[in-house]
Amino acid sequence: MKGRPKLSEGRAISLSAAQDEVVGEPVRRRIWLEGMAGSGKTSVGVRRVLRLIEGGVPAESILIMVPQRSLAQPYIRALRGWTEHRGGQVSVHTIGSLSLQMVETFWFLIAEAAGFQHPRQLPNFIGLELVQYFMARVIEPLVDEREYFNSVRIDRQRLYSQIIDNMNKAAMVGFPISEIGARLKAALAGGVEQAHIFDDAQTCALAFRRYCLSHNLLDFSLQLEVFRDQVWPTAQAQDYLRGRYKHVIADNVEEDNPVTHRFLRELLESSLSALIIFDRDAGFRRFLGADPAEARRLQDQCDSCVTFNKSFVMSENVASLGGHLAAQLGAPAAHEIDGDPRPALKAEAHRYHPQMVDWVTREVQRLVNEDDVPPAEIVILAPFLSDALRFGLAEGLAGRGIPLRSHRPSRALRDEPAARTLLTLARIAHPHWDMPPTNFDVVCALMTAIQDLDLVRAKLLTEMLYRKGRLSPFAEIRSAAMQERITYDLGERYDRLAAWLNRYIDGAPVDAIDIFFRRLYGGLLARAGFGFHADVDAGNTAQNLVDSARNFRWSLDFMSRYDEKLDLGSDYVKMVDRGVIANFYLRDWIADAETGVLIAPAYTFLLNNRAVDYQFWLNIGSEGWARRLYQPLTHPYVLSRGWEAGAVWTDEDERELNRGTLRRLMLALTRRCRKAIYLGHSELSESGYEGRGLLLETLQSLLRRLAREGQDV
Amino acid sequence: MKLQVDFAFTQGSLGDYADCARRFEMRYIKRMRYPALQAGDPLQFEARLRQGARFHKLVQQHLLGVPAEALAASLSDDAELARWWSHYQSSGLTDLPPRRYSEITLQTHLAGRRLLAKYDLLALAPGGPAVIVDWKTGSRVPSRSVLRGRMQTVVYRYVLAQAGAHLLAGEAIAPERIRMDYVYVALEGERLSFDYSAAQMREDEALLSDMIAAIDRADAFPLTDEERRCRFCSYRSHCDRGGAGRLEDADFDEFEDVEEEDAFSLDLDQIAEIEF
Repeated sequence: MKGRPKLSEGRAISLSAAQDEVVGEPVRRRIWLEGMAGSGKTSVGVRRVLRLIEGGVPAESILIMVPQRSLAQPYIRALRGWTEHRGGQVSVHTIGSLSLQMVETFWFLIAEAAGFQHPRQLPNFIGLELVQYFMARVIEPLVDEREYFNSVRIDRQRLYSQIIDNMNKAAMVGFPISEIGARLKAALAGGVEQAHIFDDAQTCALAFRRYCLSHNLLDFSLQLEVFRDQVWPTAQAQDYLRGRYKHVIADNVEEDNPVTHRFLRELLESSLSALIIFDRDAGFRRFLGADPAEARRLQDQCDSCVTFNKSFVMSENVASLGGHLAAQLGAPAAHEIDGDPRPALKAEAHRYHPQMVDWVTREVQRLVNEDDVPPAEIVILAPFLSDALRFGLAEGLAGRGIPLRSHRPSRALRDEPAARTLLTLARIAHPHWDMPPTNFDVVCALMTAIQDLDLVRAKLLTEMLYRKGRLSPFAEIRSAAMQERITYDLGERYDRLAAWLNRYIDGAPVDAIDIFFRRLYGGLLARAGFGFHADVDAGNTAQNLVDSARNFRWSLDFMSRYDEKLDLGSDYVKMVDRGVIANFYLRDWIADAETGVLIAPAYTFLLNNRAVDYQFWLNIGSEGWARRLYQPLTHPYVLSRGWEAGAVWTDEDERELNRGTLRRLMLALTRRCRKAIYLGHSELSESGYEGRGLLLETLQSLLRRLAREGQDV
Repeated sequence: MKLQVDFAFTQGSLGDYADCARRFEMRYIKRMRYPALQAGDPLQFEARLRQGARFHKLVQQHLLGVPAEALAASLSDDAELARWWSHYQSSGLTDLPPRRYSEITLQTHLAGRRLLAKYDLLALAPGGPAVIVDWKTGSRVPSRSVLRGRMQTVVYRYVLAQAGAHLLAGEAIAPERIRMDYVYVALEGERLSFDYSAAQMREDEALLSDMIAAIDRADAFPLTDEERRCRFCSYRSHCDRGGAGRLEDADFDEFEDVEEEDAFSLDLDQIAEIEF
């Protein structure tokens, strides 16, 4: 039969004797499994789940807990691929999804005790977009009137995101938000001004929390706190969770936070079996509260501990490269260092950045076309992925016929052409907002909205017909020659768009903004002859924009019970314009067919937890490989559970942190690489500066040392 | 382009195929998200769908131990919902077996594919009846023959018979023990019940197998000839099939049970990835 499913991925992989042994442990056993990345731990986890179910364990009694959803993909794929299964379904959760579900379910039991002002009304869970929006509403008056943060040069959105970050850390680590300022001051305050900044951050966090409690809003930090302190202790939640989840598989616990570890510890008390998987030399989500030391305490509750040391991924040369790099950064010399790193490293230096990008695309083409490497076995990584770099790589690869996919979680909705088009047309359609789009935006919107309309014609149409914020009819172009140049066919489609917008402007009533997007999408842009027709990507982006705008409307409709009415449409467009980042929609990630070359920030690749044959590391001179982002209002270590009260964070601590970060990153990347690593370096960076970051320095030292030792690369 | 190898069929996707093969292709094979309006009065349509979803959540909360009084106290802003709740209270759970599983998903396999059913409530008794309860908030009750032929009735009973044994410690659930109850809470809890039998199960199995095999074999997914099926289809404009349906023509019960596998709320902690 055509289209029959293949054998489940989970079973297709053959396991080593050591892996088999763990999978085959008696059901009623709690196992701690640790090892390096690529040593087959998750494969054991996947097979163990299947074995439990085959052995008669009800699937719905199994909880798979991961720090973020992308890390659950091997489990989800295996379970979905197991077509023969009859029975219930395994639950896959992060602490975020579990706490959301539990707080929502048991809300009416705990809302009053949790301090919410309207405990008989529904809760309103808000994602990052809305947190930033409400944060701005609450804090902007304080910042403006009282001159808060006046000594920090940082834009408002980043400022708010660090206040949010502090609150999330407090919730994940388990200390009251009222201690944020004191902790930061004790460890970091170098002077009076710095101390004031932390006081300001503290005041803002408390003000935002009060606002949330008085308006039934739950941001991630409050949701987690309410789960931890109110919901989880109730008899009903205990009955439900302990009664249901008798078997726990927790993977990548080193990436999870202390509150999750505590929850797992308590859940394990009533579980019949567990498999706790710990990745050594990891803990990359430190800024999200990842705490490998706390994770290790889960080991105490296990009946047996197993360690995997052998990599199923790296060639000897790649392993040697990782070992050498780690040793160069201060790791104790490991057995990995024994081999010859030379064949695993390919490098070419360039003067200018575009030359490096060109070299990368040529090498990728050579690998794919001459060495028959599947594109999905190649990743191109950089510490940050700017628009320019992404564009350069995408153009270069597309020009060489190489399929690619790109994932950059921080990409704002407004940067997607389909979203920009809808937003620009919304501005035209709502003149009362007094936010007419620029000519440039209109040109771009017309190009995207009307199929086959090129830049020159879009520009001509805009120059001649976009007046006083409205699009005039095509017939108003007096010159027949000009009309012919644009073509009557395109002119007719332009007219349909202009007429649609003008009808909307002249009609009444005004739609809610998400409804407007949907009406415009279905009524015109997705129809034949228009730019979104049969375009899956445009449909996805439009749906993301609609979802985002609808959530905004729902939250603000909800808020109108407590506050004044707001102009939702213009507020939403302003929010998107300010670059408030789109929520991370997992479906985009899943929808990525794993067929092309992946272009991604290095940590995003790591947290997708898959190995490839070849990695390209770009911009190796960048400081970003080792140094954390400039975040003057927060600190991942000072706000961690292990931080000693009263200790001071020094420059030496920062240097050691950078070296440790890079060391772990080098090990993590090489452990996810089978064959070779290409180093992309240009003397002048994208912005024209010479980069001399720690990665470049480390590589140069390594190469010099190898040369001295006779292993010239 | 073919259906993904790990695709799971549900009553919703099979219902889509039965309605219009093109819709099935767009939604599940091309996976094209298409945010066009479904109904003429989109805000009222949406409000009505949210009301239905809230009712289902209330029932789930109640079944998980939240006291009925606490839930009732939260309904002062919605008289209609309060009425549904009171009908649920008075008739929703009467005469049901004691072992109850709310919002549970079961899976079986057929024709090389997975087949899923997500139940509002399963109420079981060892050696006794196995009742599927599905709450409906619509204000129109279809005829028995229409309901009997619905994919939901076909799939739910079949999947329980095939995949429910583990809920009774391995005791197989014979079709004759299965009953499916549609409870219309907007209509004072009116209940329509459908028993099951081995013969009906064989008939259902043949029907479902044939459909799944036909979908797996298909190279073309034609647009339905019956335009009335397009009224509330979001792909309507893609196919150039007229305007949005009128609110008064909508059968909200058809929209209530559209389940997606592993339908997850957005994980709020995913947002933190922006830091990279």
